[in-house]
Amino acid sequence: MPLTYALLVLASPTSGHSSLTAARFARALLARGHRLQRVFFLDNGTLTGLATAVTPQDEQSPLQQWAQLAEEHQTELILCVSSALKRGLLDSTEATRHERPAATVHPAFELGGLGLLVEAAQTADRLVTFG
Amino acid sequence: MLLHTLSRSPAHAALRDCLAVLAPGDALLLLGDGVYAALAGSEAAALLADSGASLFVLDTDAALAGVRECLTPHAILVDDDGFVALSERYSRQLAWY
Amino acid sequence: MSPVAEHSRKSILVVSRHAHPGSSLPRSALDTALAAAAFDQPVTLLFQGEGVLQLLPAQDSRAAGVRNLRKVIDSLPLYDIEAVYVDSAAASAFGIAPDTLPASARWLDAAGIRELMASHDHVLGF
Repeated sequence: MPLTYALLVLASPTSGHSSLTAARFARALLARGHRLQRVFFLDNGTLTGLATAVTPQDEQSPLQQWAQLAEEHQTELILCVSSALKRGLLDSTEATRHERPAATVHPAFELGGLGLLVEAAQTADRLVTFG
Repeated sequence: MLLHTLSRSPAHAALRDCLAVLAPGDALLLLGDGVYAALAGSEAAALLADSGASLFVLDTDAALAGVRECLTPHAILVDDDGFVALSERYSRQLAWY
Repeated sequence: MSPVAEHSRKSILVVSRHAHPGSSLPRSALDTALAAAAFDQPVTLLFQGEGVLQLLPAQDSRAAGVRNLRKVIDSLPLYDIEAVYVDSAAASAFGIAPDTLPASARWLDAAGIRELMASHDHVLGF
C-alpha cells in the first residue's frame, strides 16, 4: 500500500553526507510507489538551499540533487524561515525586507514556518529525520 | 517497535543513548560514521548484538568507510530501496546523531 | 497552510539530546514543540542524555548575549506544553537534583522512555 512520507533534514550539507543520503532516500521511496508530501529543512539543514554554494566537480552537490528531485517530481522543499534567515538564506522578499544585497535561496526551495512541518507530521504516515 | 538510525561513530554519546532504549523487536540501521559500530570484534558490535535488535548497515556508507568486508556477521547490508522497505515495516523512526 | 482535520491528529514526541549552547539543535527542538502546540497538535518533549544539561537551573545568559534556554523551558506550560519528561539515568549521572527541575517535568527511566517512544505516532530526534 502506498504511504505518504515527509522528511525532516537537520544535517548540514557540508558536514558528512547525510543530506545526499536523504535525497537518495527520497528517490528510493518514490521509486517504490510512495508519495513524498514535503521535505522540511531545519537548523543547519537549511544551508542545503544556499544557491551560491559551489561543490568541487568530483563530488555530488546536495543542492543539485535536491533541485533535480524537485524538478522531476514537483517535490515541495521548505526551508525553515527562522533557521534560514539566521544563516543568510533569503529569498527576494526577505532580502528586500532586511535590506540585504541579494537573494541567496535557490529557486527550487521556499521559505516557510515550522507550521508546515507540524502540518506534514499530521498528514504523513511516515516522518523520517536525517540529522 | 522502532526503526532507529545511527549516524555517529561509536565514541559519540549517540550510541550510548540509543543503546539505552534499543530493544528486541526494534531495528537499527547504521548510516554515515555509524557504520563503524558494526565492525566485527568491536565493543560496539557486541553491545548491539546484546540489545536483541535487528542490525542493518547502509551499503553505500559501509563501502565509503571501507568496512564492507569486516562487518559483524549479524549485520545485514541494505541499499536505499532496503532503507525505504525498513521504514515501511516500522511506522516510527528515530534518528540518533 | 490548510487547516488540519480533527481526525488526523497525530502525536509527536520531540527528543532533545544535545547540550546547549554548543549546538543549535536544542533551540530547534523547543521551537518545533512550540510550533506543534501553537497549531494545537499533541506534543511531548523528552530530554535525554546530554540534553538534560539544558535543564540546569542557574543559567544566566546575559553576558553571553544568547537566549536563556531554561527560561524558555520554564515557559512551556504557558504554551500548553505540559508533557515534559527527563531521562532519569542521565540526570543522575550529571548530578542534576530532581528538585531543580521545572515543575512540569517528570522523571523517566529507560523502560518508561521506551514506552513513551512507542506511544507516539512520530518521534523526532534532535
